[in-house]
Order: sequence, then structure tokens, then C-alpha cells
Amino acid sequence: MRRVGGARRGLDMWLAQRAGAIYMALFLPLFLLLALAAPSLDYAGWRALFLPLGMKVATLLFFAALLAHAWIGLREIFIDYLHCARCVMLRLSLYFAVAALYLACLVWAADILWSVR
Amino acid sequence: MRFRIYRYDPESGNKPSMRDYELDIDPQGRKVLDALIAIKDTLDESLSFRRSCREGVCGSDGVNVNGANVLACITPLEGLKEPIEIRPLPRLGVIRDLIVDMAQFYQHYRAVKPYLINLDPEPENERLQSPEDRAELDGLWECILCGCCTTSCPSFWWNPDKFLGPAALLQGYRFIADTRDQATDERLDFLEDPYRLFRCHGIMNCVEVCPKNLNPTQAIGKIKTLLVKRAL
Repeated sequence: MRRVGGARRGLDMWLAQRAGAIYMALFLPLFLLLALAAPSLDYAGWRALFLPLGMKVATLLFFAALLAHAWIGLREIFIDYLHCARCVMLRLSLYFAVAALYLACLVWAADILWSVR
Repeated sequence: MRFRIYRYDPESGNKPSMRDYELDIDPQGRKVLDALIAIKDTLDESLSFRRSCREGVCGSDGVNVNGANVLACITPLEGLKEPIEIRPLPRLGVIRDLIVDMAQFYQHYRAVKPYLINLDPEPENERLQSPEDRAELDGLWECILCGCCTTSCPSFWWNPDKFLGPAALLQGYRFIADTRDQATDERLDFLEDPYRLFRCHGIMNCVEVCPKNLNPTQAIGKIKTLLVKRAL
């Protein structure tokens, strides 16, 4: 069988992973600063921290970036290590399974964030 | 000095094995290749290895010494931990003893079209380049295709048939960076692939072992930068 190649792909994933990494690198120190600057970190303080809409959106974006980063990383690992002749189906199933799991996590994170009122 | 050398003779039907040698050699100023030649001359004439220029120019005596890919001819014997373990380059098929089958390696090299593509009529004398444009090629043209980098790369170990490997990618960039070349887009098209280019995760094993002190990771990074520039 002829070997196919030259998918003209890969750049989008690579770029998305780096974009997500930059967002996380910016968000995490800022979040830590805000948390440390909070008057108290008991329930009331924690709730006040997550009450503004901006904080909710920024945190949700953080989880989106984290999960996308992790999904692309796992995809790389699958491509690296699962390359037997019959592994295409296995890889595809794993992509979908992990994507479904991570999407569920994202929705869950949104639910938790917006439950803070 | 004590040596442990990987031996394999396909005609004997025996499995590959490590054989020990005790060689009387003064390590002062001598290289691994001197020891290999001395072993072949005085202890075991059946030992097979490639060598040619014996001064780090031809790139034919790439071997794995104590776990690191090196050119035997420029690696000093002094300071090497004994017994000195010498194996063929990893992941390539072994033809005999320290001689590996470089066919896959050269196939990837050919795939990046390592020659100038320029459809303009040939000028009277030569295609001129400014000194600045020529300087872009420094750190790229010096590659001697010894295979030390590609065979030290885990991404090549896992996908040797699809990932081009640091040597071929460095050579690919050498012609992408050449201002006289007119096929930049086609070259980038060929490289934009989850396997051919994007198996590189930047662990820099290639940089660590390159006997010519080249930096394939940097070249690969520049290819990625060009792909991003082209896409945006």
C-alpha cells in the first residue's frame, strides 16, 4: 500500500498549546496575587473572590486552556507511542474519549463557578 | 584499557552479544577510533566498523560510546569510564558489529530535497548572495550526516519511518533559509505534518550529541516560526 503523508496539519495544535500555556502563565500569578491580597481566605473571602463576572470568565478560560493543553499533550503521546498498523482506530477512540471527558470537566467547572452567587 | 564491544554477525546465526577486550594502549592523546583500529589489528580481525577520514569530517564512524552517540575519531579515550562500552548507533538496523543500515536516514535526507531549487536561467558565473544572506546558512551547512543526532532522538525511535529526524530537518531548513532557493513554500508544505516535523518535542538530545556543535532544535524552531508567519 502506498504510504500517505503531508497532512498540512499539526501547526494549529502546536500553536493552540502554546497559546494556552501563555494564558495559564499569565493567569496563575495574577490569581495568586489576588488570592494573597484578599483580606481573608475563609469561605466568605473565597466567595467574594469568585463573585465578579470577570473572575468567573477568567477562571473558566483558565480551565479551557488547561484542558485543551492537556488534550493536545495526550494526543502527542498517543501519536508517539500508539503507531501499530491497527492503532488508528484505537487512537481515534482515545481522542474522542479524552475529549468527551475533558469537555465534561469544563462544563462541570462552569457549573461550579456560576454556582457562586 | 578494558572495552566491551557489541558484536553481531548475521551469517553466524548467533544473537548479538557484547564481547570484552583488554587492550594495551596509552590513552594519552588517543581517540576511540585508534583503540578500535588497534583491537582489529592486534586482537580480533573480525571486528567491523566504518571509518574513513579519521578526523571528524566524513561522519562515517558514528557509534554509541558509554551511552552517548559520538564520532569515534574525535572522542578522546582519556576520561572514559571503563569498561568502555561501544555499540552501534541506536534504532537503525545493524548490518554487522558497529555498522548500521543508514537507508532510512538517507531516505529522510532525500525527502527534504537537499539541493537548491531555482528555475531562473542560470547566470553567467554564479548566483550571488549578500554576506548577510550567506551568514544565515552558518550553523546549517556544516552538517556531515553522521546520524548521531537523529539516532539519539526518542521521537525518531518511536516513529523512524515518519518523523524526519533532526539531521534531515536541519538540512531542510538549510535550503529554506537560502535566499537563492525558490521552493520555500513547497518545502514548508512538505514539512507541515503531524509526523514529519511536529514529532519534535524540543528535548534537545540532538544538540547535546552533535559532534559539529550544530543546533537542529533551533533550526526546527525557525521552521515552526516560518509556518506560523505563513499561516497568520
